[in-house]
Amino acid sequence: MFGYIRVQKSELKLREYDAYKSVYCGLCRQLGRDYSFLSRFLLSYDCTFYAMFIMSLGRSCSGFETGRCRFNPMKKCSYCKCESDCMSKAAAVNVTLAYYKLIDDISDSGFFKRALCRAVKPFLSRWRKKANARYPEIDSLAAGMMRSQQEAEKSPDCGIDMAAHPTASFLSSLLSAEAQSEAQKRIYSQIGYGLGRFIYLADAADDLEKDIKSGNFNPFNSEKENNRDVIGNNLSQALAMTFDAYNLLDLTDFRGIIDNVILLGLPSVQKEITGTEVKDERSV
Amino acid sequence: MKDPYEVLGVAPGASDDEVKAAYRKLAKKYHPDNYQDSPLADLAEEKMKEVNEAYDYIVNSRKAGGSGSAGSAGSGYSGYSSSGYSANSQYVNVRMMIQQGNLDEAERILDSETGDHTAEWYFLRGMCYYRRGWAQQAVQHFQRAVQMEPNNMEYQQALNNMSRQQNYGYGGYNTTGMNNNMGCSACDICSAIMCADCLCSCCR
Repeated sequence: MFGYIRVQKSELKLREYDAYKSVYCGLCRQLGRDYSFLSRFLLSYDCTFYAMFIMSLGRSCSGFETGRCRFNPMKKCSYCKCESDCMSKAAAVNVTLAYYKLIDDISDSGFFKRALCRAVKPFLSRWRKKANARYPEIDSLAAGMMRSQQEAEKSPDCGIDMAAHPTASFLSSLLSAEAQSEAQKRIYSQIGYGLGRFIYLADAADDLEKDIKSGNFNPFNSEKENNRDVIGNNLSQALAMTFDAYNLLDLTDFRGIIDNVILLGLPSVQKEITGTEVKDERSV
Repeated sequence: MKDPYEVLGVAPGASDDEVKAAYRKLAKKYHPDNYQDSPLADLAEEKMKEVNEAYDYIVNSRKAGGSGSAGSAGSGYSGYSSSGYSANSQYVNVRMMIQQGNLDEAERILDSETGDHTAEWYFLRGMCYYRRGWAQQAVQHFQRAVQMEPNNMEYQQALNNMSRQQNYGYGGYNTTGMNNNMGCSACDICSAIMCADCLCSCCR
């Protein structure tokens, strides 16, 4: 479920790219500070976007500083500074989601991968406990998402909407927690719902071939006819929903980068996913 | 009132044409058509009002100051036509609840009905799904409603709105021209090679 929210690098300005990297490096450093050196390997683009987005909403980014990269001491990195706890919140989301993803992987993957996941689990569960102590609401949202996902998949009449609902409402609640007013809450919650729906459906579309082979649950598996249209239509609709709500915001910080993600990055992810499908069908 | 220039995103020294262009862009962005049936329609309406007021203010104040003519300040997009709900609806209260965002109650009433459902039932049930973001179910319900009553404009409009969203495409909303097509077609390659070939014969 990771890595679908990303920028389209070729369309970013250089200074925007630098700013984006500094959020990325800032989050990496925060993971190192809050959890441990090893937890830096969990760093994801989705959480980078989350950090950037909530920083932009709260206008809490206060500048940049330079330092050395832990992985490559020869390299100088720029780190983004933040007045409030956006970074450590994003780090908590990052380790919490990684933990729940691992639990999910243990339950539905093959022997070797499962063994590997089991070996990593003690680390992740320690970090997750730490995150839980700091941000219990994030952990309980994520736990709720996993629970309702399992319930939805067991339900006999689970369609696309029901399957996508847990992820969508997770992100929706996560973002609307940042709101200061009722109007903001409604806008953030729709952005979150659309994005979450997109991530879930993109992931499902990406795994469709694999899931058909292995017999794992996939919401698109039951839609027999015109599967490609169904996938494309639903992904587009989720983006339209996000975009309509996003338009009502007047962001200033990181504006160019967030515009890039929503207008270009996500559509290109969709293109990639639906595009590979076309190739597969031709080769069959 | 907020600074009208800030609302339109232009500098106070901007020319009349710049102000007009900025106004047009924003009016397009918040246009009611984009927010048809959306739970955020009222927020878009507020934004639209703000933009209209700012534009009117600037145009009028410039006219008074005699700095050029900006034409009439008739800001075009003011009317949010509240959907023409048929008066003989048997679900007046349900429609009301959906408008107010009380989806749980609306769904409870709709779901408590048994037997064959009318087209309006499918339409309203679809609207509940839509407001929740359950697009797939919403489309199916709207389709059913349109099938049963093909002449009803309200149902047709809801379905059209859904297909507009489904055809969002790869940044289809994006009219800012960020998507420069930098591609290179087979023709481009051919003509480039031909040009290069011409140069070759020059050297001989």
